[in-house]
Amino acid sequence: MARTAWRLTQGELLEWLEHLLREGRRIVAPVEEDGLRLFRAVHAATQVCLAPGKTRWSPKEFLFPRTETLFTYSADGGEVRLADAVGPETEQVLFGVRPCDAAGLCRLDAVFHGETADGLYARRRELTTVASLACDEAEPECFCTAVGGSPAGVDGSDLQLVAVGEGWIVRPLTRKGEALTASLRGRAPVPAPEDWAQAEERARRVAERIRQRPIAREWAAVLEASFGLPLWEALGRRCLGCSICTYVCPSCSCFDVQDSGNAWCGERCRSWDSCTFALFTRHASGHDPRPTQAARYRQRVLHKFAYFPLANDGQTMCVGCGRCVALCPVGMNVHESVQRVAAAARESVDARG
Amino acid sequence: MLQLARAAETPTAPPVAPEGWQPRIVALVCNWCTYAGADMAGTTRRSYPASVRPVRAPCTGRIDPLLIIKAFEQGADAVLVSGCHPGDCHYVQGNLVARRRFTALRALMEFLGVDGRRLHFAWVSASEGVKWSQLVEEVTAAVREAGPFQDWGRRADSRRPAVSLPAVAPAPRSTPSTAEQQGVAEHLQRLAATLLDEGRAAVVIGYAAGSLPGQMVPTFVTRPEDAGTLAWSDGCVNNLAVYLPRAQREWGKAAVVVKRCDARAAVGLLQEGQVRRENVVLVGVSCPGVLEHGRLALKCYPCDGEVASHCDFTVTPEGARPGVARSAATREVAADPRDALVAHLESLAPADRWGYWQDQFARCLRCYGCRAVCPLCYCAVCVAETNRPQWVPTRIDGQGNLVWNLTRALHLVGRCGGCDECARVCPADVRLDLLNHRLRLEVETRFGYRAGEDPAAAPPMVTFRPDDPQEFIR
Repeated sequence: MARTAWRLTQGELLEWLEHLLREGRRIVAPVEEDGLRLFRAVHAATQVCLAPGKTRWSPKEFLFPRTETLFTYSADGGEVRLADAVGPETEQVLFGVRPCDAAGLCRLDAVFHGETADGLYARRRELTTVASLACDEAEPECFCTAVGGSPAGVDGSDLQLVAVGEGWIVRPLTRKGEALTASLRGRAPVPAPEDWAQAEERARRVAERIRQRPIAREWAAVLEASFGLPLWEALGRRCLGCSICTYVCPSCSCFDVQDSGNAWCGERCRSWDSCTFALFTRHASGHDPRPTQAARYRQRVLHKFAYFPLANDGQTMCVGCGRCVALCPVGMNVHESVQRVAAAARESVDARG
Repeated sequence: MLQLARAAETPTAPPVAPEGWQPRIVALVCNWCTYAGADMAGTTRRSYPASVRPVRAPCTGRIDPLLIIKAFEQGADAVLVSGCHPGDCHYVQGNLVARRRFTALRALMEFLGVDGRRLHFAWVSASEGVKWSQLVEEVTAAVREAGPFQDWGRRADSRRPAVSLPAVAPAPRSTPSTAEQQGVAEHLQRLAATLLDEGRAAVVIGYAAGSLPGQMVPTFVTRPEDAGTLAWSDGCVNNLAVYLPRAQREWGKAAVVVKRCDARAAVGLLQEGQVRRENVVLVGVSCPGVLEHGRLALKCYPCDGEVASHCDFTVTPEGARPGVARSAATREVAADPRDALVAHLESLAPADRWGYWQDQFARCLRCYGCRAVCPLCYCAVCVAETNRPQWVPTRIDGQGNLVWNLTRALHLVGRCGGCDECARVCPADVRLDLLNHRLRLEVETRFGYRAGEDPAAAPPMVTFRPDDPQEFIR
């Protein structure tokens, strides 16, 4: 069935959001806080910020929380009791998610929702509707088009909002999206052909502005073969080993599991972890298969652009949001690194004939 | 008892003491004086409230502020620290060094907005059983009045409006023309080539153009012919001293381009024995200031940018000279805007200050970017990564983040030179610069010490003066 779309004014969009809030849904949307834009659960539609630009970090924490209790234990009189963590129960709407971030959620699905589904993630995913927001600006660090994305991409979106004129096109894409927009049926007009034309024109213009050289799907194998190139040492040299890149990333999904507690009670929880940390792969024996920061940087890049694509039909794990590029304390640029490594790897293959 | 996560999404009212609540006060006491003093109170049949849980340490000098933080994290309503009177220490000076640490911790806790009734310091000798019992009574009464400490790691009252900082005064000057910056870059390139050529350094750590508009990034030049990649502009924000220990291991002798603020960190590394003077060539650049988010960085307001006194070379738009020299520039300076921001926070009610910092720390992702960029965070194994005991909870939430941020700030007391790199790189915009600045002011006013000026000076937190102020100790 062809899905319809709706044309809303700014006021009607806010009314619709208020309606969703009244229905008891948890709405997570970009808000301005202390000078930075972050995803937050909102309590009023007017808090939502849909201005050009992206949030400081991705909304992944609403599906894959920074820290999550897996189970708790208590011991009483020699009897140990385990209790599963209380899973999420409220329906949530991730509202105003940029297409790169929505695509990032698909990458998380591949990790947590693959052959063995992660129960807590799966439940949260089921309860989540993603309303993406097509981009009307490109920032200097953006490179979604280089990794198969688009400023109006719909991967991972249940519905998409597109700014046209002073208002919006609200376009359901999945059954969840339809459900969320059910209240608009019969109330809002459908977009005129010129609205669609305007939306398309804008998407094209924004995509044009992202002038980053593409990273071809075929490069995955080339990159995998680049493992031993000395170039990695030079590329990774200035990396300081924080985890800004991985924590702001829409698709990085590594975590650490830790027990904490005492003789009476405690918990097992998982918290975000990062391949860029020196402790990440260090064995109990002290041996570290990735002993240098350059080796850790190589791991991050190759996981995104070689290992993951080789196992997932060529799709890169990176979605090109560019946050790691913009926020790296020492200006590491993953897009540039991939270009340089791919070129060097091809050269070394050519040289070997 | 272990406290499990306290969710904070729904607005919460300030806590009310539950019926029958008794204060839990952790008393960290030294073995030789206060513990014996408490014993004396017992043997002389002095009664006092049973609210204190004494923990015996060999000396107050062994009471790391982390123990005090740990006590709060584990649910203490208050902490009382007590040891021998100055001059009576069994180990001669343990309590005097401890006094400085307590000064810093107290300043930090107060700046965060911790109720003063929750942290107490005293000197109680072995013969002062009466003083001990009175002290416990007073402290217990104060904690009773303050109520249970339920807001560790979260806002006490999420209905109170968020605090925002006042606008900062306009910058006292604009950064210079591209031509001037180009001049510095050329002299840097020539100097770097010479240093590498003559074998005075095996690597020159400097800046090169980055991939984003106006961005400058650290670069490592090891061959004279590559010196042309070195650049200089108002985008040279990084403190390159952070690479010095690693460069010494990898290359031996390293030259590093330093602004005045960066040089403080280099001095700190020399002072703390992390790099050897003969392995470091400090190339000071007369710096007109750097831009952050398109405006002059706050640290640059009061700084005239002349090279620091320990530099081996001075580079100005006019040329590169050995030693320290003044540039031809006259740069307008202004009051340090961090002073005003700190003063503003201090003017707020403690509960609002607490709310402000809890909001800040709640955003912290624990990416440890602050640690990574800090030249003085050089420990091979950070305390945040030790797990016997788990000093810093791994949970990335209000409680874990509070402990991490307290710990980081405390470990930099008397060492932080104020380059503000931690605050610049923080993806969550946590105002680490203000935490560090507040503690820097404390060290300056109370111990008369400024970090990063003298490589031969003893760092203030490992030394003491017999007459250090101690008005907060009973």
